[in-house]
Amino acid sequence: MSGFTAWLADAEDTHAMKAIAVGLPTKRVESWKYVPTRSLARTTWKQADPQGVEQFALTAGSFINVPTLDGLSVTGPDLLPGEQRRLNKMSEAHGFALTQAALEHSRLILTVGKTASVALNLHHIANQASSAGFAALVIRVSPGAQLTLIEQFDRATVEQANLSSLRCLITLGRDARVTHVRFQAANSHAHVFTNLDVECGEHASYRLQTIEFGSKLARSDIYVALAGKEAQASVNGLAITNGSQYHDTHLAIDHVVGDTKSEMTFRNMVDGKGEATFNGRVLIRKDSQRSGTEQSIANLLMSDSARVNPKPELEIYADDVTASHGCTVGSLNQTELFYLKSRGLSEADARAFLQYAFAEKIVEEIEDPEIRDLVETQLLGELTHGELIAELKESVDV
Amino acid sequence: MLSIRNLHARVGDKPILKGINLEIKTGEIHAIMGPNGSGKSTLSSVLAGRDDYEVTDGEVIYQGQNLLELEPEERAWAGVFLSFQYPVEIPGVKNIYLLKAAVNAVREHRGQPELKAGEFLKLVREKLKVMQMDEAFLHRNVNEGFSGGEKKRNEILQMQLLEPTLALLDETDSGLDVDALRIVGEGINRMRSPDRSVLLVTHYQRLLDVVKPDFVHVLAQGEIKLSGDHTLAQRLEREGYEGIEAA
Repeated sequence: MSGFTAWLADAEDTHAMKAIAVGLPTKRVESWKYVPTRSLARTTWKQADPQGVEQFALTAGSFINVPTLDGLSVTGPDLLPGEQRRLNKMSEAHGFALTQAALEHSRLILTVGKTASVALNLHHIANQASSAGFAALVIRVSPGAQLTLIEQFDRATVEQANLSSLRCLITLGRDARVTHVRFQAANSHAHVFTNLDVECGEHASYRLQTIEFGSKLARSDIYVALAGKEAQASVNGLAITNGSQYHDTHLAIDHVVGDTKSEMTFRNMVDGKGEATFNGRVLIRKDSQRSGTEQSIANLLMSDSARVNPKPELEIYADDVTASHGCTVGSLNQTELFYLKSRGLSEADARAFLQYAFAEKIVEEIEDPEIRDLVETQLLGELTHGELIAELKESVDV
Repeated sequence: MLSIRNLHARVGDKPILKGINLEIKTGEIHAIMGPNGSGKSTLSSVLAGRDDYEVTDGEVIYQGQNLLELEPEERAWAGVFLSFQYPVEIPGVKNIYLLKAAVNAVREHRGQPELKAGEFLKLVREKLKVMQMDEAFLHRNVNEGFSGGEKKRNEILQMQLLEPTLALLDETDSGLDVDALRIVGEGINRMRSPDRSVLLVTHYQRLLDVVKPDFVHVLAQGEIKLSGDHTLAQRLEREGYEGIEAA
């Protein structure tokens, strides 16, 4: 049983019956082993009402204020066969994916024209109590085109459970470049589900930076296929998990063909009774020779009851590849703490410095100065004793 | 200024310091020399409050206070500064953040007003010049990617800004080329003052050619075996530590 059963019963989608039958994934489903599903099961979910805002936004499963930009067109509604196949695969990934598919309220298909350069800033607007919104976004990035996609989850105050789900397909044509930033600082009752499937054509480059501070429960399933020669993908992420939050990222990079490169860097910082899961899988297929991958996962535990479940997975079937990987779990480095304290910093300030340093290694990579500043400011707000650093940044940064 | 009496310390089960006695008066520079493994770095680390070491006996009185009871940051506020043998890299934190935070933390506890951004920049630029360091060092991450010499200069830069009453310099000369040794040595000499004491821990005599100590002590097997004036350093350089260790 799930809290979606009644809603699903009214849905007309072909996945609905199956979603009811399957229900929510149990602990026996490996990829959902750690996910606390209680609030999903116990809330009686209903369709949310759209919230009025002026920006390009996803609210209650609907896209509003889609911008009119040179080089960007709203296409649709029909999916290409490849896209349909990828969405179907997404729906079957786990029991909840069926619910996500069945309750999908709208689908937006965007095309970035040949050699165009487009910047999109999508706001995710929190829904009202016990309500959910499900949507899909399909972006076709034509050969030689460039896209910067920034997703922000606004931190509206909502007192009760709310949920937003976005299934997103991005297809990069030859020589296309995409920079994708996700900054999730949703309210503390939010349930945020993201399913992202990216396919890179020849010589295309995809870069994702994902930063998660917010929500009660966040689950991201990210799949990046390097499907054309010399395609490359770089994914880096940071999750700061506190209180009783749960953050979960399942990331897979698939070297479908050879001469492809990938890089995966992920950092978890967990405090309080928070729990974070990171599953990072890289697959280099048998014929994907001359491919390279670098993977680095670091986990910082700030309290005795914090939990982290990191799982690096490298599956390499080709023989001519370069691969490096590393995964660490630990608390703050005592030598670094001593160094800072010996310079007169209080224990609390020294700890804040080191937490900031841990997060900043990911945040400083964000190229867009406006979004980087926004993330840094909110990052300092997340840290106990972040004020000292906020003050320093203000006073000495030039 | 500093009285070390019968100081014993160990790491795990292994005794390192076995009864150190040392009196440092205000304005004096003392050098501790000794072979590898004699306990030199342990002594400076214990004085700065590193908790890898357990003090098993003895006491350290600094300006009338029991130094060993203070936390590392309280020692810094009271005017103790340790220049690290291996300065710690902190990727993600700009050098200037640490410098300004440290200066103002120490000033606050000494009852001095906080330095505003402009005042701080003026001060730090002055000290950078002394240490022949480029302003770019301020905006690089703390010690990250610094060469050995740059790290040591950064330590002495911090010391100049923090103006300690007691400076503990742990092998500040190791890893320095001739020019860097001179710059670091002159940086230390500028800090010489009738109100400030310095404890230099070193393996070689060469830093002591630039910074002339008032007293030289030889530490071996966890004890001070021999004390003298600066000429003792020259003797050690000629004769080595062997004769002293056997004593």
